[in-house]
Amino acid sequence: MKFAYYPGCVAQESGRELDMATRWVCRHLGIELVDFPKFSCCGSGFIDEANSVLNVALNARNLAIAEGAGLDLMTVCSTCQGMLSLANRRLEEAPVKAKVDSVLAPLGIHYAGKTKVTHLLSILTEQVGADALKKRVVRPLTGLKVGAFYGCHLLRPQAEMHSESAEEPHSFEDLISAIGATPVMYRGRVMCCGFPILFVKEPTANRIAARQIDDAKAHGADAMATPCPLCHISLDSFQNKAEHEAGHELNMPVFHLPQLVGLALGASAEELGLPRHLVSTDAALAKVAQVAVPT
Amino acid sequence: MAATTVPIPFEVYRFDPAKDKAPRYDRVTLDLAPHTPVLTALLKIRTNTDPSLTLRYSCRSAICGSCAMVINSKSRLACQTQVGAEFAKHGKIVVEPMRNQPVVRDLVVDQQPFWNNYRKIEPHLKLDPTQPMPVGKENPMTPAEVERFKETPRCIACAACYSACPAVEADPAFPGPMALAKLYRFVVDPRDKDTKNRLVRIQPDGLWLCLRCHLCTEACPKDVQPSERIRDLKELAIAAAGTSEAGSRHAVAFKENIGEAGVLNEFKLVRQTYGTMEMLKQVPQGMKIARKKPELIKKPHPIEGVEEVKAIYRALDTESEDR
Repeated sequence: MKFAYYPGCVAQESGRELDMATRWVCRHLGIELVDFPKFSCCGSGFIDEANSVLNVALNARNLAIAEGAGLDLMTVCSTCQGMLSLANRRLEEAPVKAKVDSVLAPLGIHYAGKTKVTHLLSILTEQVGADALKKRVVRPLTGLKVGAFYGCHLLRPQAEMHSESAEEPHSFEDLISAIGATPVMYRGRVMCCGFPILFVKEPTANRIAARQIDDAKAHGADAMATPCPLCHISLDSFQNKAEHEAGHELNMPVFHLPQLVGLALGASAEELGLPRHLVSTDAALAKVAQVAVPT
Repeated sequence: MAATTVPIPFEVYRFDPAKDKAPRYDRVTLDLAPHTPVLTALLKIRTNTDPSLTLRYSCRSAICGSCAMVINSKSRLACQTQVGAEFAKHGKIVVEPMRNQPVVRDLVVDQQPFWNNYRKIEPHLKLDPTQPMPVGKENPMTPAEVERFKETPRCIACAACYSACPAVEADPAFPGPMALAKLYRFVVDPRDKDTKNRLVRIQPDGLWLCLRCHLCTEACPKDVQPSERIRDLKELAIAAAGTSEAGSRHAVAFKENIGEAGVLNEFKLVRQTYGTMEMLKQVPQGMKIARKKPELIKKPHPIEGVEEVKAIYRALDTESEDR
């Protein structure tokens, strides 16, 4: 298995622990990641709001880079996944394609539309497979109750995602089960983390994050896990603000998806960048360490 | 020949604020053919078990928009949801009133907040007051002009989108998906002469609270695609009114930020969005995060081939500003 690895901005910057965990897990599972320092930002949904054709053109360039290397592209961010998929879909509209091609052609960039965009979550559940993954587990996360938090753009719009049901997804829960933890079902798992309006009206964004964390907690979650570093910013980096809006303590450790997998495959907290989180993951780790000791 | 029936357990939300301290769920199991609509099942319960069950419905054909409710945690029309598929997925059917609107009784909600938001966008054509339409004349549009808002007239105002919207839930200021989709319809109508004012008025504490989570588009029984139309509205709002609001400022700042190095400069983005003075308020939280994540305040290296990105901007971005 070999992919053009599209880390996205946050995983290369303040969310670097996501990149660390991704590389550790992929190395461990024999998934070869090829880096392309030419990749630009996906626009994060904001460039789409400001100038939708520019957004498609930037991502067409990204998709062309992978296509040129004959590789499909792997994302580790729900929003990157959404924006790159949106570009593939919009390029099916003839006027958009003509416009984008006319801008890219003078730069020697040609995109034939062949690059498949797949999130690490789907690669783990569909290509590696839950059974194969289960065999690699050395530290089953038995007893740890985890609320999956998908991130909007991994699921919706359904038409662009071509994968599982946006309304009733289960791949993340399947993955959580495969590594020995117990998935927690709650309505908030498919809802928004608030991030898109964190810079527009912060208290509202914080309230939305608090709502989802409270929901996971009410259904018994010891921790949450997300395939999106923007959700992680909202749920972890700003959890103190969410607490303030909620008016009560939340204290919810939030894992990046590959961190949770890496933990089960035997990586250390340091290798996965867990000490970089704002909300300590120690309580969740203690639970795992306790039950992982072979008897 | 009648279709085979299967026993299907229902849990139906019951609440009369005048009498009950808290809501309860009535459990009833009905023998139903899989294609039976949830609405038909509820009417059977009302007829056979409990005549006091209160719900709103009319056409039973997904046209009137009256029977929107929450079925197995999703906002949708009861007449359009068949029991078989729901039972197969969840093993039962939980029926609750729509969210984000106060419960009047059982499955009936007070839709006043929804309609108030709709009224606020002034959902009617505003022609040029100096040029009244001559009596008896038509005011035609070309097919291409109609094409621009072909989705929005499908809306049946069922409020499923309003019920599904997390921004409505978290902030009463947000007008909701349906009102904004309808606003889009008037903004792109070539006969409407109030376009710019409409785009200016909707921005403060309104348009930019949309989370683009697409839950409205998912909930909509008529494929109106409110989320997509709100996105269009944002681009039009920037073109018409610039960056007067935090939301438009952030979108444009993000775009400009990426145009410089091809990759996000997180620290600079905060300054670009808030301005230097307002950014100072963000310093304590920024420091808290940067202690764990020092990259937050480091300037990233430009990507390889950043000149290509700049050329793409030169070709496409000035064009949008000139529009």
